[in-house]
Amino acid sequence: MTEIAFFGAVEIGLVYALVALGVFLSFRVLDFPDLTVDGSFPLGAAVAATLIVAGANPWLASLAAVAAGAAAGLVTAVLNVRFRILHLLASILTMIALFSVNLRVMGKPNVAILMQDTVLTPFYGLGLPEHIVRPLFVAVVVLAVVALLARFLASEFGLAMRATGVNARMARAQGVETDTHLYFGIALSNGLVGLAGALFAQTNGFADVTTGIGTIVVGLAAVIVGETVLPLRGMAGALVACVVGSILYRLAVQFALSADAIGLQASDLNLVTAVLVAVALILPRMKMRAASPVAKVAK
Amino acid sequence: MIEVKDLHVVFGRGTPLEKHALRGVDLTIPEGQFVTVIGSNGAGKSTLLGALAGDVIAESGAVAIDGLDVTRWPTPKRAGYVARVFQDPMAGSCAALTIEENMALAAARGARRGLGLALGHHRRDAFRERIAELGLGLENRLHDRMGLLSGGQRQAVSLLMATLAGCKILLLDEHTAALDPGTAEFVLTLTRRIVESKNLTALMVTHSMQQALDYGDRTVMLHEGKIVLDVAGEERAGLDVPHLLALFARQRGGVDISDDSLLIG
Repeated sequence: MTEIAFFGAVEIGLVYALVALGVFLSFRVLDFPDLTVDGSFPLGAAVAATLIVAGANPWLASLAAVAAGAAAGLVTAVLNVRFRILHLLASILTMIALFSVNLRVMGKPNVAILMQDTVLTPFYGLGLPEHIVRPLFVAVVVLAVVALLARFLASEFGLAMRATGVNARMARAQGVETDTHLYFGIALSNGLVGLAGALFAQTNGFADVTTGIGTIVVGLAAVIVGETVLPLRGMAGALVACVVGSILYRLAVQFALSADAIGLQASDLNLVTAVLVAVALILPRMKMRAASPVAKVAK
Repeated sequence: MIEVKDLHVVFGRGTPLEKHALRGVDLTIPEGQFVTVIGSNGAGKSTLLGALAGDVIAESGAVAIDGLDVTRWPTPKRAGYVARVFQDPMAGSCAALTIEENMALAAARGARRGLGLALGHHRRDAFRERIAELGLGLENRLHDRMGLLSGGQRQAVSLLMATLAGCKILLLDEHTAALDPGTAEFVLTLTRRIVESKNLTALMVTHSMQQALDYGDRTVMLHEGKIVLDVAGEERAGLDVPHLLALFARQRGGVDISDDSLLIG
C-alpha cells in the first residue's frame, strides 16, 4: 500500500465514521434499523455540491446538507411512528424516494466541484500536502462530532433517548415522550450522514447519485468492527469504537484490494465488504462460545 | 386523592374479540391510603391499573388525580403523578443501562429533560446514599448494568426508583409475582416500609388473598370488570382468606370459587 493510498483510506474511513456514528444512533441506541442512509448520504453530497457550484458559502452548503439529511430522517420516522409503517420498510420507502430527489437536486446524475472553494480550500495553503490536509480536516470534524454526541447522550434528553431504544414502555412510564425522541434521534442520525455526504463531495470533488449504494452496510460494518476490536464500556467509548472501526474497515478493504497476491480488483469491493461484515459478526460469537461452552442460551 | 368514576374500558369494540374489561368502576382513594386489589384472571385488575397509569384510555367515565381530570392523558403526560413498578422485573428498568442511569431516568420522571448532565457528582452521591438504604450492597455497583441484577434486586431498585421523584399514586402491578417466596417477602416488606415512611398513596394488584389482607389499609376485589367487595378498617382486620372467599361467593350469588387456586395463597 502506498502512502497516498494509506491516507486515502484513512480519509474515506473518517468520512464514513460520521455515517457509522449515525448508524450507531439508529441501530444501537434507538434499536431502529434505518436504511434511509443510502439516500441521505448522496442527498448530503448533492445538496452541498449543488449549492457550492451555485456559489454558496461551503460552510453554509454543508449545513444545508445536514438539514436535508435530517429532514429525510424525519420523513422515515414520521412514516414509522405516526403512520405505523414497519421501520425497515419506512426507511426503504424514503431511500427509494431520495434517489429521485437527489436527481432533482442536482438536475443530472452527478455534479463536479472543480474550481469552487470548499471548506477545505483555506487549509490547502498551509504547506501540508493535500492528501494529508484532507484526512486531518475530516478528523477534526469527526472528533468534534464525537465529543458533542457523547455529551448529548450523557444529558437528560440523551439518556431518555437511550431508554426509548432499550425499553420504550418503561421510558413512557418515566414520562419520556418516546415518539419525540424517535423523531429527533432518526433526524440527528441522518443529519450526520448528510454531513458525511457533504464532506465526501468536497474531499472527492464530486457528488454522484450512485454513491449511496451500500452506505448502510459500510456504516454497519464500521460499527461492528469497532465493537469487536475495541469493546469499550460506556457511550463515549462506543462512539470512539465506531470511528476506529470505520478507519480499520477502510484500511482492511484497501489492503485486500491492493495486495496483488490476493488478486482482487476494485469491483470486488462489495464482496470484500460483505465478507468482512460477516466475519466481524461471527468472530465475537465464536469467542463467546470458546470462553463459556455451557452458556449457549445467551445471545 | 384519586377518583375513578363509572369507568368503562372496552377492548376491540366491534370485533369478535370484543372484551368489556371494566364495567363501571367507582373508586376513591384518599391521600395516604394503601389499597390492595385482588381478583381472578381477567377480572380487570391490570386494566384498572392501566387506566390509572394512562396505558389504557377509558371509553367512558373519568379518572381524576387531586381533582385534575386526566382521563384522556397518555402515559408520559401522567408520569409526573404516577409512579409504577411492573410485574416483570425486566419491564420496569432498562437492562442495557447502568443502575445509576436507570435511577437518573426515574429521578426525572415527569420533569422536563434538557441538555444538562444526567449524572453529576451530586446526583451520584445522592443515588449511592439512597440505594444503600436497600441493604443489598448495591451502593458499590452503580456502574453495573441493570441486567446483571437478579429479579429481586431489580424489583427492589425499581421500587426505590419509583420514589426518587414525587407521585400522587404508586401503582404496583403484581410486582412480586415473578419472584421466589423469600425474595417476594423481602420486596413486600420493603414496599410496606417505603409506602409507610413516605406516606404514599398506593394501589397494589396481587394474586394472593393473603398478601391482599396482610398489606395495606383497604382491600378491593374485582370481578368481571366490577368492584364486588371493598373492605377497610375493623371489618378488614377481622378477615382471613376463607372469610374473604365466603364473602366473595355471597357477592356472586352463592357460586363457590374456592377452586380458583390462583386466588388462594
